Amino acid sequence: MKILVVDDSEAFRKVMIELLVRVGFHEVMEAESFDSAMEVFKRERPKISFVDMVLPGKTGVELTRAMLSMDPKCTVIAMSSIINKKMIRESLEAGAKDFLLKPTNEIALNSVLTMWSD
Amino acid sequence: MGLLSRKSKVKKSEESGLGITRKYSLTRGRSYIVEESPPNISFDAFVNIISTPEAGGCARSVGLAVSRQHPDFIRQKYGLEQTSIYWLATRTGQDVIAPTNLSILTRTLVGFIDENPCAVILLDGIEYLVSNNDFTKVLRVIDQVNDHIAQSKSVMIIPVDPRAFDQKELALLERNMEKIARPKTH
Repeated sequence: MKILVVDDSEAFRKVMIELLVRVGFHEVMEAESFDSAMEVFKRERPKISFVDMVLPGKTGVELTRAMLSMDPKCTVIAMSSIINKKMIRESLEAGAKDFLLKPTNEIALNSVLTMWSD
Repeated sequence: MGLLSRKSKVKKSEESGLGITRKYSLTRGRSYIVEESPPNISFDAFVNIISTPEAGGCARSVGLAVSRQHPDFIRQKYGLEQTSIYWLATRTGQDVIAPTNLSILTRTLVGFIDENPCAVILLDGIEYLVSNNDFTKVLRVIDQVNDHIAQSKSVMIIPVDPRAFDQKELALLERNMEKIARPKTH
């Protein structure tokens, strides 16, 4: 199953990819911005995308909407380093299925993947 | 109203639901230890449990956090608007518990469990408590609170930095608690 990680922090992307590989997901792609994420998304059509809500330029909410308009069956999981309730509600209203607090951990990540990977 | 009674009477307020899913499956009436530093898993679990509905007798949990981190920082990072947060510090003030005053700490936690049938307690800063008291005294506080947890539908989460304790101390801390374990790989 293909998974896309979108975050402007290279360090976070690396940690996230390591975690995903550790829990058994090996087809992991990464992107740092709205534009690069959409490029990868169009080409690879990942089943699950982990999207940081705070991106340079267009926001994670806009990226969520763009991904879902291209593939309504894809799953977007919103991420942020703080729990901003307004932002979480906006991302869920935009179509994100769930939310992960950064830095994430294997337990929370595994729970989300178990719930949304089938 | 005296200081002791004020401290042991904690307001109970529920966090509004976030519309996200429950990620941590913790058994009611149990205490959990998480070997980690910084306490990311512990806070994530605490916030997730008090912000998500639960099937069964505890449709909504009420949380109380005790931490070395300042309450303003915790509220901002974790979006906690209603949850009671106590700061372990040597300063005086409302919602501050001195690390040497273990009786106030015990009364606060036990009082909260007794008043809230579905309490979730996060006790962060065990290392700080041990640096200000004998380890056995801190262990006694944890055991006492744990006894109340066991007779309730509450849950307690205690992050522990394993580098701060020796093997015997860790074993004693873990004796009556479960570990929040990392998942098996797919």
